[in-house]
Amino acid sequence: MSLLSLLLQEGADPASAAAMDAAAEAGSSSIFWMIVIGYFITVLGFGAYFARFNRNTSDFFFGGRRFSWWLITMSIVATGVGSHSFLKYSSKGFEHGFSSSMTYMNDWFFMPLFMFGWLPIIYYMRVRSIPEYFERRFNRGVRVLATASLLLFMLGYIGIGFVTMAKTLLPIIEPHLGWSLMTITWVVAIVAGVYITFGGQTAVIFTDLLQGFVLLFAGVMLFLLGLGYVGGFDAFWNILPAEFKLPLANFNDDPSFNFVGIFWQDAVAGSVGFLFMNQGLIMRFMACKSVQDGRKAAAFNVLLALPISAIAVSNAGWIGRAISSTNPEILPPDTVSDEVFVRVTALLTSPAGFGFFVAAVTAALMSTVDTLINAVAAVTINDIYRPWCKATGRKPTEKADLRMAMIVSAGATLVGVLAAWGFSQFDSLYEAHGFFQSTLTPPLVAAIMLAIFWKRFTAAGAVATFLAGGVMIVLGNQFPEMLVSPFSHGIVLEEGGSYKYIGALFNLVACFGSGIVVSLFTQRHASEDLQGLTLWTLKDARSMFKGGKPNDKVGFRQMVTWEVNPELPEGTVQLDTETLHHMAAEDGDLVYVCDRRKWLGGLRSAHAKIDGTHGLGETVILATDVADNGHFLPGQMVTIEKEF
Amino acid sequence: MTVPMPELPFDRVWLPYLYLYGVGGILFLGGLYLVLRSGALDLKRQSHRRWLGVLVFGLFWYMGIHLAGTLAALPTT
Repeated sequence: MSLLSLLLQEGADPASAAAMDAAAEAGSSSIFWMIVIGYFITVLGFGAYFARFNRNTSDFFFGGRRFSWWLITMSIVATGVGSHSFLKYSSKGFEHGFSSSMTYMNDWFFMPLFMFGWLPIIYYMRVRSIPEYFERRFNRGVRVLATASLLLFMLGYIGIGFVTMAKTLLPIIEPHLGWSLMTITWVVAIVAGVYITFGGQTAVIFTDLLQGFVLLFAGVMLFLLGLGYVGGFDAFWNILPAEFKLPLANFNDDPSFNFVGIFWQDAVAGSVGFLFMNQGLIMRFMACKSVQDGRKAAAFNVLLALPISAIAVSNAGWIGRAISSTNPEILPPDTVSDEVFVRVTALLTSPAGFGFFVAAVTAALMSTVDTLINAVAAVTINDIYRPWCKATGRKPTEKADLRMAMIVSAGATLVGVLAAWGFSQFDSLYEAHGFFQSTLTPPLVAAIMLAIFWKRFTAAGAVATFLAGGVMIVLGNQFPEMLVSPFSHGIVLEEGGSYKYIGALFNLVACFGSGIVVSLFTQRHASEDLQGLTLWTLKDARSMFKGGKPNDKVGFRQMVTWEVNPELPEGTVQLDTETLHHMAAEDGDLVYVCDRRKWLGGLRSAHAKIDGTHGLGETVILATDVADNGHFLPGQMVTIEKEF
Repeated sequence: MTVPMPELPFDRVWLPYLYLYGVGGILFLGGLYLVLRSGALDLKRQSHRRWLGVLVFGLFWYMGIHLAGTLAALPTT
């Protein structure tokens, strides 16, 4: 029996394979559970193997700033797809059609600012967390506000991840074990917590690499299976009405799903939130070997991976609508929208195939949650624990830092479960996520954007953005007709008197407005205090990163053998003059040394500084710590290149 | 040859598209202006000139995808 035939529904009688029962039936199949458990063991084993490469907190949180763009791209795919989830977009795809893809296809507008503003600032200034940036840009008080906002944001996101995983598993598990949504949430939280507590960022990056490929493959495969089920692409296309196939939603007609509200909630607040303030994503970019590779990862992700992901995550809803139009007895049109993905997948696949899809989606969600748990730990260690140690005169060791990171990871998991309960009270995941994003992101979005792009933005302005902006958001939620209506673009208030998405526009205006007004009436910062921290002072950042004038002469990567000299100062290497000449490098330049096998994606690599030359030919002499951090293998040649 | 014959009203089909690339376009061009003006995107450097091309291409890439999707969705006669 081929793998494909094992995964596909063989000889299924559609009438007897009603989607309402298929998911529950799969849950009683031993092969289903074998595939699910096997997948998880594979992923956990993959992560455990790469966790060996963690030597310190820099490795644990940032993967040692060593990875190639393609590895980071696929890792971001898994995080993005996981966080935006098959369930959520299949649900909206089933209800509203191809416009469910909108949120995946509107991220390009902020790319100039991200690629040439925020990314080089955080990378060159070695900013370990967003709150740390706020302290360097303003003061300790702003850092505290940013820490609180960011932790709230990330813990909420973890809660959404948990409830999404639980909803994926509910139709399968509940009929057999009688577990409630919250019981399932606890179980997945324990697995996720254990994994990240011991894995760290390198493990997450590599398991996400695996899962990025698997998710795209699974999503596209599901679409092909669905097309086959409904009779081919032409049949699928002709079944669906024209409005269902439009890629953008109605402008403002439907308060529960409209274009203009989602534009401000997702294309603006969401995109900036994802690119600029998602600590988990920022840690991925910090794990890149260079800013140039970070840009490549971002561009490749948004230009190619996101459009494919949009189809991968939504198509179960589109296929479901086509099936329910022609065979409502198999998939009733009033199917609970959050269950559409699971029911359609169960209908289209065998128990083995269904097990594969469920495992892939659940594992991807786990990656997203793990990334966020890791990010919460990074922020807590960097912005609370270390400043506290400094204030109390303690000097924690790397080992103590790592132990604290594990404790915080476990705590974040626990709080995430509690947040999951709150989000499970919303009508759908999409609405829970929309409300969460439009309410919590605007203060941080406004503060980050103004801090980066407006030199005149002051500490008092930043405080006002968080506090006055926060108060205005609360007032907007309490009095939407009075405050939010002027921004509503004609969207009517929903029952219960609230705006779901367009509230983001009011919230953004309130936060930006508070920050701008207060900044204009307070004293500006001196330019020398802003070196490397704003778009306008970015040129200083490269010099500060290098510790000297950047060398922009164009050179070439060289392949050399390597040796260790324990007498070299920490973090340094030596090269022969000819290799230096080919690289257009000089004494004091920063270099990147990497195992010559490109497919490793930089797993065995290290950064160092050139400290003198030698006469031993085409060999790089490494200080002991550089060799250790690089995990280089004896006998394997390495490539060496200049960083600037 | 079939010709697209929109049966849906203009504000259903094209208003979201115009708003997306009108307001979104302003945000994009505003960002591009800022990075160019500040020198963060330095056109004297060859790699940065390539990146400018990628950025502009990306905007047209998405405009093209949404345009093609919209035209394909419209009923034909």
